[in-house]
Amino acid sequence: MTTPRDTTSSNDAPAASDKLAGLLKKLDDAINLLYDARDFAKPGKLPRVLDTARRVLMQEGGCAALDERSQRLEDAGVFLGSDWATPQYLVPSLTTHALKSADPNTVVIEALSELRLVAVAKGDYPHALISAEQAHHYLTQVMALNLWLLFGAPSEAERETQGRLAQVPRHLFRHLAERIGYEHIIDRLIDEIWRILQQRPIQVEPVKQMITQIAICQANPEIDLGASGQGADRLVSSLFGPTRACREDPGIVVYRERLSSMDSAALQGEATGFARAMHDTGLVSAYHPVLLRHLLDHSDHLLAEALGLSSTGRDCLLCYRELVSALIRGGVHPATPQAVYGLSLMLERGILYQPPVAPAMWRQLGLTLSEWSEARLNLAFGEAISPRARLLEGVMCMLGQPLGVGQGNNPTCQSARALSMWAYNDPDYLLQMVAWAARDDEIIMHFEGQPISSMESIGGVAQSLPMDLDPVSLIVVPHLDRIYAEMGRRCVDREGDPHRWVNPEFHGWWSGRGFRINVDVASGQLDDLDDFLRHFYASYHPYYNGNQPLIHPQPAGIAVTDSAARFIGWHAITVLRVSLDPSDVMRVYFYNPNNDSGQDWGEEVKVSTAGNGERSGEASLPFEQFASRLYIFHYDPLERGELAEITQEELDRVTGYIHRSWGADRVPPTDLQADQGL
Amino acid sequence: MKKDPNKGYIALLGWSLNAIEAAENFDRRYVVVAPEWAEEYCQKHDIPYVPWNFERLNDRSMEIAETLRDMGVDVSIPLFEETVEWAGAINSVLLDNPRLYGQSLLLRDKALMKRRAQLGGIRVGIFEEAHDKEDVVRFLKRVNQTLLKLDGDPNDPIHLKAFDKAGCLGHRVIRTPDEVDTIPDEEFPVLMESHLDGWEFAVEAWIHNGKIAFLNISEYVTLGYSVFVPASPELEHYRKQITAQIEKLIKTFDIEFGLIHPEYFVTSDGEMYFGEVAYRPPGFKVFELLERVYGFNAYQASILVFDPKTTSEEVSAFFPKEVVDADGFAGCFGVYPRRRVVSKLEIPEEVEDDPYFESHELTPPLEETVTKRTAFGTHWGLIYFKGDEAARMKELLKHMEELDFYV
Repeated sequence: MTTPRDTTSSNDAPAASDKLAGLLKKLDDAINLLYDARDFAKPGKLPRVLDTARRVLMQEGGCAALDERSQRLEDAGVFLGSDWATPQYLVPSLTTHALKSADPNTVVIEALSELRLVAVAKGDYPHALISAEQAHHYLTQVMALNLWLLFGAPSEAERETQGRLAQVPRHLFRHLAERIGYEHIIDRLIDEIWRILQQRPIQVEPVKQMITQIAICQANPEIDLGASGQGADRLVSSLFGPTRACREDPGIVVYRERLSSMDSAALQGEATGFARAMHDTGLVSAYHPVLLRHLLDHSDHLLAEALGLSSTGRDCLLCYRELVSALIRGGVHPATPQAVYGLSLMLERGILYQPPVAPAMWRQLGLTLSEWSEARLNLAFGEAISPRARLLEGVMCMLGQPLGVGQGNNPTCQSARALSMWAYNDPDYLLQMVAWAARDDEIIMHFEGQPISSMESIGGVAQSLPMDLDPVSLIVVPHLDRIYAEMGRRCVDREGDPHRWVNPEFHGWWSGRGFRINVDVASGQLDDLDDFLRHFYASYHPYYNGNQPLIHPQPAGIAVTDSAARFIGWHAITVLRVSLDPSDVMRVYFYNPNNDSGQDWGEEVKVSTAGNGERSGEASLPFEQFASRLYIFHYDPLERGELAEITQEELDRVTGYIHRSWGADRVPPTDLQADQGL
Repeated sequence: MKKDPNKGYIALLGWSLNAIEAAENFDRRYVVVAPEWAEEYCQKHDIPYVPWNFERLNDRSMEIAETLRDMGVDVSIPLFEETVEWAGAINSVLLDNPRLYGQSLLLRDKALMKRRAQLGGIRVGIFEEAHDKEDVVRFLKRVNQTLLKLDGDPNDPIHLKAFDKAGCLGHRVIRTPDEVDTIPDEEFPVLMESHLDGWEFAVEAWIHNGKIAFLNISEYVTLGYSVFVPASPELEHYRKQITAQIEKLIKTFDIEFGLIHPEYFVTSDGEMYFGEVAYRPPGFKVFELLERVYGFNAYQASILVFDPKTTSEEVSAFFPKEVVDADGFAGCFGVYPRRRVVSKLEIPEEVEDDPYFESHELTPPLEETVTKRTAFGTHWGLIYFKGDEAARMKELLKHMEELDFYV
């Protein structure tokens, strides 16, 4: 299967391989210097080897080049005097920490050690201290323990600590998986894919790549998967052959021919088959658009079947038949299969019934894109399909899956959150933003009555233009990011946290103008924690706010912690609803613009994405645990009631979570007099 | 490497791993003379070693010279500014030539050095010693009067340097009397010099039997920031005149052997002004740059020209031909943090992706607050480049000044 991304990378291939060749020459020089140095001089030569190796590891094909050089590297003394010098004693579970390290040398030496062991495991490098079998076993464990590295973009934590370096472990693991074989890790992989898919992300390219890898393994007679990989059938078939007429992945042309000779019963079978596969996995096969386009000339009934619509969706389809046909003709192609899923969910949501949405969709259909927008879309997604169709696919997906928006590997959580919130709550406003950005290359928003143009503003939070985004984000985020940063700049002279003013102006009128923060901005110390928590309970907890469900999605700020409960950074999320889960625990359901919401924040605070009443794309935590990571929330000042009379016990539990995690070094000095019990 | 008993026995004064490594891989016997803290390391790695604390010369100074003489050492080589007069004192004993000590004192004191150069007919700028701030103000005024400046005209700056420190350490530029107040009293006495507008460059010349064995011109892109070798064709154009200047210097300072590292200005009319000269390896890792383009080890070159048992044939076989034998241009840039508060080291992508970029020696910041630079100060580490074109190298090194490596 050729993805558009492949075509772009092959264009760059000669330049990239030249670069790799240049780097390898420098690396070989550095290795030789280390090799020739006497023991006492080796430490002085090592940094250059590690730094050059790091740059090689960032390149496509760099891992393979280092794999080949692993014996030379070890002989030169790369591991001399470190734990890695005795590979027989290495502990697989320690690799996770090393690979996440902010110190490039730690990441690189860990990577070099793994690459050496893969050479040992494959019998290319007979090692005095470890056998091929031992090395193989070790690597299998390492792979299974670090499966996250085979998936998608780096997490918020990695981005914060590692930056570009986060690519190194990813390249390494792709190489290891290819060398060691996916069969050893495939079952873990399949579970992971399902976990991600349950969140229904808009961007499914990384997942598709993984499934493709599995399919390739299954199809390769030389790979013995044994009993593993059974759970992959649904995933693979949903992409490559979900129905009877395309079971053997015959190719688009053949499939189109088959359709032309089918009667309604056969078409019905195809339609249900596709719909089931799509709603099971959230993935759409390239054959599905072919059927949809074919059915445009047949029957609305089959069209609704093929989209897997319920009565709500079907009504909407029938009401807006013209528009839906136009959307399918314009945006649903074999190169944009996910548009089918987006369209289906958009119809299900009934948002077309909001008066401005349908006309806005018509505008989208006829929108002339600026040169800049076209160039950006072509650069990111290739030219297999027109930029306008690509953007239309993106629009349908975002309106259908508002909680599937991800920020990619960029520090733009605010902009991703805004897009998601608008798609969820104010779809015609989102469409307006898309039109301005894609057509005019400019968005103007107002901050306290003053216009802010994204064109005039000097710079955003992201230092370079993000590329790893869905089509809508790709076009709109650069504008939003600059506007957001400009709003922040206009608040620099004000005392306190700028989100107080920026959030409501940036996201929409429904963001409460009331604002609470539990951190003193100047000192970074926790501030007035009890009142903050009581107020949060009073505003959001149904037991304390008169059983009022949350009306509008509200922006909130959380202190993200890692799996050891250490503070990583501030992060923007949206609180969506608060209610009892199936086991009668009060939970906060929220949207996290990070690409994978299922995160371990340490101290038993594990964000759940399924199994506790979450809708697709929602993350959830029990109310107390959520409150323990919250640092900013908004409320309606006119509705402010009494502070909640929560029990001291409950308050202490939440405070305990805070003090044991991100608040550990933010506790203000206690009042000594009170302490001494005088 | 196997040592040749017929060649000289060398003492290295000061601790430099690169120098030790070079000596280790060369056929001369050697011994490292360094403070006691080096002892354990030397024992562990089997490095020949004699302990010595290089404080000011005192009554016991003769002791180290005699120790080395009794060991059979033929000559000592200073590796740092602080060991130059030690080498002079020791070599005057080892080589039985008392004048060497006096020579080393001349080379250690910037004011004496300038006077001697002037006596030898070498052009220098206006200079004077200052003992307090008043001296500085007076000198600044007089220099600018000499330049026929009126009150209110912007002053030409003057330069202040410590008498006996290497390179840029303690180097300040003063433009107005107000700035004089920023100089701490403990920095006095200092040497003051008028500012010379021109192209500043340095030379590394290895001298054997009173003749130049190899002369490298190091081109500064910005003083204190960047240097590359060999110099650009535009500067190499002056090689003949520069060689004549160095010969004059050798004669004036009566140098028979060793490595000298002088600095000059060449003004727009082609006139050479002498800045200062050091009798030790240059800072800024010029040795490494030379090895990168010429392939010879500059420490070994120094050992060779210091060793009294070296023959002329050996010297001419060792050195390559200047400029023509260089395989490209190698340069380095000293990184200073540009922000007041920094949290991490981040090499800009454009640097890492540049085909000229080779490697760096930067380390993550230890403290978040950057000490304000008053004098030229010490850089936080070097980045190395190599490439084929001098002009591109120059442009690249200049551009580095606009980048943040610490954010």
